[in-house]
Amino acid sequence: MSPELVFQQALNGLSFGALLFILASGLSLVFGMMDVVNLAHGAFYMLGAYVALSVVQFTGSFWLALLVAPLALALLGLVLEPLLLRRLRGRHLDQVLLTIGVSLVIVDVIGQVWGREVRSLSAPAGLDGSVALVGGVYPVYRLFVIGFGAALAAAMAVVYRRTKIGMLIRAGVEDAQMLGALGVDTNRLFAATFATGAALAGLAGVIAAPVFGVQPGMDTDPGLLYSLVVVVVGGLGTLSGAVAGSVLVGPADTFGKVLFQDVALAVIFAIVALVLLLKPTGLLGRIRIAR
Amino acid sequence: MLVAAAAAALITFPYWSAPWASRFATTVVRDALILAIFALSLDLLVGRAGMPSLGHAAFFGAGAYAAGIASQRLATDQLPVTLGAAALVAALLALVIGVLVVRSEGIFFLMLTLALAQIVFAIAFQWTAVTGGSNGLAGIGRPMLGGLDFSAPDSIYVLVAITFVLVALAIWGLTQAPYGRALIGVRENERRMRALGYDTARLRLSAFVLAGTIAGIAGALSAYSTRFVSAQDAGLGSSVRAFVTVLVGGAGTLGGPMVGSALVSLIERIVPSLLPTELRISNAILGLVFIGFVLFARQGMVGLGRFAWLRLRRR
Repeated sequence: MSPELVFQQALNGLSFGALLFILASGLSLVFGMMDVVNLAHGAFYMLGAYVALSVVQFTGSFWLALLVAPLALALLGLVLEPLLLRRLRGRHLDQVLLTIGVSLVIVDVIGQVWGREVRSLSAPAGLDGSVALVGGVYPVYRLFVIGFGAALAAAMAVVYRRTKIGMLIRAGVEDAQMLGALGVDTNRLFAATFATGAALAGLAGVIAAPVFGVQPGMDTDPGLLYSLVVVVVGGLGTLSGAVAGSVLVGPADTFGKVLFQDVALAVIFAIVALVLLLKPTGLLGRIRIAR
Repeated sequence: MLVAAAAAALITFPYWSAPWASRFATTVVRDALILAIFALSLDLLVGRAGMPSLGHAAFFGAGAYAAGIASQRLATDQLPVTLGAAALVAALLALVIGVLVVRSEGIFFLMLTLALAQIVFAIAFQWTAVTGGSNGLAGIGRPMLGGLDFSAPDSIYVLVAITFVLVALAIWGLTQAPYGRALIGVRENERRMRALGYDTARLRLSAFVLAGTIAGIAGALSAYSTRFVSAQDAGLGSSVRAFVTVLVGGAGTLGGPMVGSALVSLIERIVPSLLPTELRISNAILGLVFIGFVLFARQGMVGLGRFAWLRLRRR
C-alpha cells in the first residue's frame, strides 16, 4: 500500500470508528445503568436513518433531520421502557429477550412503511464536496463524521464528570438500587436512560446515512453487530471503553477489508477472541463478561 | 406404544394425507420438522443447560453449507458423506466458538454467541468463492443412501421425519441419563456442581458442541429439502427464529420446541395467506407473540398447558 492509500484508509477507519462510538455509547450507557443489553439498538439505529430520510424528503434539511430523528427515537424509548421493560424489573435476561421482540416488530414496520429497497441520503450542502489531503482528494463529510464523533465524546465526558446528571449516571452505573434507596426516582431515571440510548442510536443512524447507506439489514450489520463488538472489546458501561473500542474496531475493520477482502471479518473475530481470552473485562471496562 | 404409533403416523404423513391434503401441506410439515430439530438442539442449551445462545444459526448454516459443498466438491450424493460433513463442520465450528463463550453466562453469553456467530455469517456471506455469497449455494446433490433415492418430495419428507424422531428420542434419552441431569445441575447451581467434582466448563462445552452438531444436521436436511442454501439461513434472523420457537413452545421440555415450531410455522406460512399480499409482517407478528410470552407466559405453551391441566384437575 502506498502511503497516500494508508492515510486515506486510516481516515476511513477513523470515520467508521467515530460512527461506532456514537452507536455503541448508547448501548453501553443503557447497559451500565440498567444491566440490559438492548438488542433493539440496531433497529433503533435503522429507524433513525429512515426517519431522517423522510425529514429530508419533506423539508430538504439534513440538519433538521439530525434533530428530529434522535428526538423521535427518544420518544419511542420513553414509551417502550415503562410499557415493557419496567414490568420485568430485575429480570435482566427476560428484559433483553423483550428487546428481541421489539427489534422484530420495528424492522418489519420499517419495511412496510419505507419499503425494502436500498435508499440513499446525500450529505448536506457544504459537506458534500471533497478536499485535497496528502496527495489525494477526500470527502468532507467523512471528516465531519470524525469531528462530530470526537465532539460528542468530549461533550459526554464533560456531562459525565462535571454535571449533576453525570453524577447520577456514575452513581447509577455503580449501584442503581442504592440510588433508588437514596430517594432518586429510578423509574424516571431508567426511562430517561433508555430514551437517551435510543436517541444516540437514532443520531448514529442519521450521521451514518450519507456514507454507510440506508438499507434493509443495516439493523444487524453494522448496527447491532458492531456496537456489540465495540462494547465487548472496549469494555461495558464506561465511556472510555466505548471510545477505546470504537477507535480500535473502526480502523481494524477498514484495514481488514483492504488487506483481506473477503475474509476481512476474521480480523474482527480474532480481536474479539483475543480480548475475551486475555482481558475478559474489555480493554477499559470493569465488568467481567467471562470468567 | 403411543409414541411409536405417533412416530409412525408422522413419518407416513404424505401417504395417508394424500387424499385430502395438498402437496403444500407436506412441505409445511417438513419445514416445521426441520425447525423442530433445530429448536430441540437449541433447547439443549437454552432450556437444559441454561445457556441462552443467540448464535445457533451459525451451526445450522455451517451444516447446510458443508452438506452442499461436500456434495459438489466430492461429487457424491451419498448421505453418509454429506451428512457426515455437515455434522463434522458444525461440530468443529461449535468447538471453536464454544471455547470462547462457555466461560460466560446469561446476558454476556447471549451477547457473545450473537456477535461471534454473526461474524461467521458475515464471512460466509462475503466469501463468494466458497459459499456463493449473497446468491446462496444452488445445485445441492440429491440425498442418496446406497441405492435409495430420497430426492422426491415425499421421500425427502420421510428422511426429515425419521431424523426428527431419532433426534427427539436421543434428546429424551439424554435428559434421562446422568449427563442430562448434570446439565440441569449446571443450570440450577453451577458452584455446587463444581463442589461436587463436576468439570462444569467441560460439561457446558460438550453441550454446546452436541447442540451445534444437531443443528448442523438440521441445516443439512434443509439443504436437501430446498436443494439450496441461503446465506440468511446462517444469520441472526434464523437464530432469533429458533430462539423464539423454543421460548414460545416452552424451554426445558421435549414438547416445547415441537409445539413452538408448529406455532411459528403457522405464523410464517399460514397467516400471510390470510393477509393482503402487500402486508409482509410475519416477523412483526412473531415479535409481538414473543413479547407476549416473555411478559405473561415465560414457561411457553407447554407451561400454559400444564397450568390449565392443573386448574382443571383441581375442580
